[in-house]
Amino acid sequence: MSAPAEPAAPAARAAPPRGRTRSPRFDPRTAFLPLLSLLVFLGVWQLAAASGIWNETFVPYPATVWQAFLDVSTTTDGVRGYQGYLLWEHLYMTLRRVLGGVVLGVAAGVLVGLLMGTIGWVRRVLEPWLTFLRALPPLAYFFLLVIWLGIDEAPKITLLALAAFPPAAVATTAAVAAAPVGLIEAARALGATRGQVVRDVIVPAALPETFTGIRLAVGIAYSSVVAAELFNGIPGIGGMVKDASNYNNTPVVLVGIAAIGISGLVIDALLRAVERRAVPWRGKA
Amino acid sequence: MITRFRRTGVVAALLTGLALLAGCAIGPAGQDADRPTIRLAYQTFPSGDLVVKHNGWLEEALPDYNIRWTKFDSGADINTAFVAGEIDFGAIGSSPVARGLSDPLNIPYQVAFVLDVAGDNEALVARNETGVTDVTGLRGKRIATAFASTSHYSLLAALQGAGLTAADVDLIDLQPQASLAAWERGDVDAVYTWLPTLDELRATGTTLITSRELAAEGKPTLDLGVVSRQFADQNPEVVDAWRQVQARALDTVRDDPQAAAQAVAAEIGTTPEDAAAQLKQGVFLSQEELTSADWLGTDGAPGNVAQNLQSAAAFLAEQKQIPSAPDLATFQDAVYTKGLPDVLAAG
Repeated sequence: MSAPAEPAAPAARAAPPRGRTRSPRFDPRTAFLPLLSLLVFLGVWQLAAASGIWNETFVPYPATVWQAFLDVSTTTDGVRGYQGYLLWEHLYMTLRRVLGGVVLGVAAGVLVGLLMGTIGWVRRVLEPWLTFLRALPPLAYFFLLVIWLGIDEAPKITLLALAAFPPAAVATTAAVAAAPVGLIEAARALGATRGQVVRDVIVPAALPETFTGIRLAVGIAYSSVVAAELFNGIPGIGGMVKDASNYNNTPVVLVGIAAIGISGLVIDALLRAVERRAVPWRGKA
Repeated sequence: MITRFRRTGVVAALLTGLALLAGCAIGPAGQDADRPTIRLAYQTFPSGDLVVKHNGWLEEALPDYNIRWTKFDSGADINTAFVAGEIDFGAIGSSPVARGLSDPLNIPYQVAFVLDVAGDNEALVARNETGVTDVTGLRGKRIATAFASTSHYSLLAALQGAGLTAADVDLIDLQPQASLAAWERGDVDAVYTWLPTLDELRATGTTLITSRELAAEGKPTLDLGVVSRQFADQNPEVVDAWRQVQARALDTVRDDPQAAAQAVAAEIGTTPEDAAAQLKQGVFLSQEELTSADWLGTDGAPGNVAQNLQSAAAFLAEQKQIPSAPDLATFQDAVYTKGLPDVLAAG
């Protein structure tokens, strides 16, 4: 991999390094503030629930939600988790679907983006389709997927792949199109073939932006899980949320939402760690 | 100066645009801000409720009110709307009502009408290719139904009657249209659902049991008209008018099925012949039956609807869908009998 050696753009240099604190030493404030905000949130929640202004179906006590979390995570009185599956099993099935959908969607997206960024007519042909797909809310076409692909894993994974595809493709296209012309021409002048230019110049220059696109794609796919698990979604965290809301079971809905949100945070942190290792030259070119 | 002027101009244009948009919402016509609004939740199962809506009888009977009809797809959604205090009247199945009157929802509403009793319009059908001919044969099969609906309740009751439990089969949650898609692809073996999807399933399936048979076995499901307690306390005359037009619709369904079918067809988007066939499969009570001890009962003497709801709640508790069933008194208190039976005839 040849890192571009052009003089750094001032804007890029001024941007703070992402996902890291400047000081290598442990700063108590960085851990304290999020913790404090969590405590304040729980306090306000408890007060809101205790105030009795709202029906308990609207605002259950934190303790009720915690109890629901325990019930969903264990087998109590012969009832196993929620609808026969434990919380981690719901989450595992959802993550499996998201992984499948994202891998398919991102792989296709990056490939199409690379083609669209390097070959002009491909871009002109595909761009309207991509924009069309991007504008569609998954719920609008999910019913068609059910008719075409059934009610098992296929429509769910397809929906997540369709959700992940456009952001990956758009980001890759933009990143490839923005590869420094000077570098491309220099490589050409040195006798590089078209394939070599793509491999050694365009791909390394486009990777950081592509990674942002991948993170976006994962986020969008993740936010579509409830839609994807609308039909026959159990086991699955989205199916659990939908089923619990059928029964106005707010505590379980909140447990599901928390599980989706927290696992989303963890996944994004993992992706950022991967990004730091894979493209250490981000922000330095 | 010029830039500032331009900026103010842009902001002003944006604000004007927003104000215009806010004023241009498309909604039901004929709403007058000066009059109180009655909010009704309806569903598209064939019933007298649709006849009332289509013919505008309620608007006719209560000219001093705004009448707002909102369509809902399930009783669970209507329960949510009642909890939120957004609805005054609702057309809802007995199983969601039993759940709504129990912990943890405890919705303050009362049953003021029996719209219809499920007959052959809700049934369990198995695909012909599976070779299943009775409920017992469903062991280990995949059965779809809309969870939290009356069909879900009836399916569990049918399984119990055949000596099976929910764990002996693979139960999945599908709304009627999705279950039809899954059926045609061969993804499910049997479906418990209602009309009009049911008719399409019957073309390539065998009916295993209907809600009419389950009713005979003591597990009837009904479609009920419920009214918010607070609204009924404050506007008893509106509840009376509402019950009178519902009674008129029941008479129409019985005495002039053609007119009823036309109204229902217009509301659910089908042909009058189709609507007539659908109406024929439901059970519609006469006014005498309605106010007998078997159903609503009379003023101060709530009828069997209460027992019915209580046994539905007990069954739901047994199925771990609610923590526990309230006692019979709770359900008797939740039947609105004020003025029955004479009030119906007054219309």
